[in-house]
Amino acid sequence: MSADADITCREVVELLSSYLDGELPASLRARVEAHLAACDGCTMVVDELRETIRLTGALTEDRLTEAQAATLLAAFRGWAAGA
Amino acid sequence: MAEQRASRDDLALVERLRAGDEDAFMVLVTGLTPAMRRVARMYVSTDAVADEVIQETWLGVLQGLDGFEGRASLRTWIFRILVNIAKTRGQREGRSVPFATLAGDDLDGPAFDPSSFRGADDALPGGWSTLPFDWRGMPEERAEAAETIRVVGLAIAALPQMQAEVIRLRDVHGWSSEEVRNALDLSETNQRVLLHRARTKVRRALEDHFRSVAEA
Repeated sequence: MSADADITCREVVELLSSYLDGELPASLRARVEAHLAACDGCTMVVDELRETIRLTGALTEDRLTEAQAATLLAAFRGWAAGA
Repeated sequence: MAEQRASRDDLALVERLRAGDEDAFMVLVTGLTPAMRRVARMYVSTDAVADEVIQETWLGVLQGLDGFEGRASLRTWIFRILVNIAKTRGQREGRSVPFATLAGDDLDGPAFDPSSFRGADDALPGGWSTLPFDWRGMPEERAEAAETIRVVGLAIAALPQMQAEVIRLRDVHGWSSEEVRNALDLSETNQRVLLHRARTKVRRALEDHFRSVAEA
């Protein structure tokens, strides 16, 4: 067992967003990776979080109403005419 | 940490706006206004006031274009103007919204349910005691189904407003963590915690959804 074995599943799952975003410092990243290599449960959660992020990316944004778009375009024209 | 500077695209867009290019303006407005509306709504009491904040923001953006130096990305700069105007407007309305109300009151504890893990007196403290339902490998067409995306949308709609906006800007719009914390005036830690909280809850909603599908 390595000296890095002190990081628990409970701790690892709290780091997985930062891990997936590439935001962990190198030493901590290495400890998380060592843990994941040996832990099926945490590997499952990181796979599912990755899939969650991908599915979230498929959401569409609300649309502007035509009235909102018209109001903002009028504001732009007013600004451009006065600029 | 140094700020993410404006891209070449941002600077080109600013030039087009200065030249009065309506198409460029409408592309920008269409992409950003829905998120701006939700953010404004965190600080002011009604949709009507939020719309006024948005108008004021875009006018402020246009009038301030000559002062845009590209030290931050264009969208970050626009959101900062928005948040300032919305906060001022909210204060004038006598509306003060505590950060905990926007961010959720669950930020101090862990994102994952502690009861899923072994206790301190266990031989393997902090290890899994109950594994979540494994929904990996659900058939691709099922994972892509409109119903799945609807589950994600509902889970995000149920989040505290700031958690919802952080996950939307990061994972729907693809903003960087730095852009989001600058745009929404969040500390680095808060941005990170809000995002992880939000993703964890959406993952949980998907787990519940796929379990019920599997058991049906």
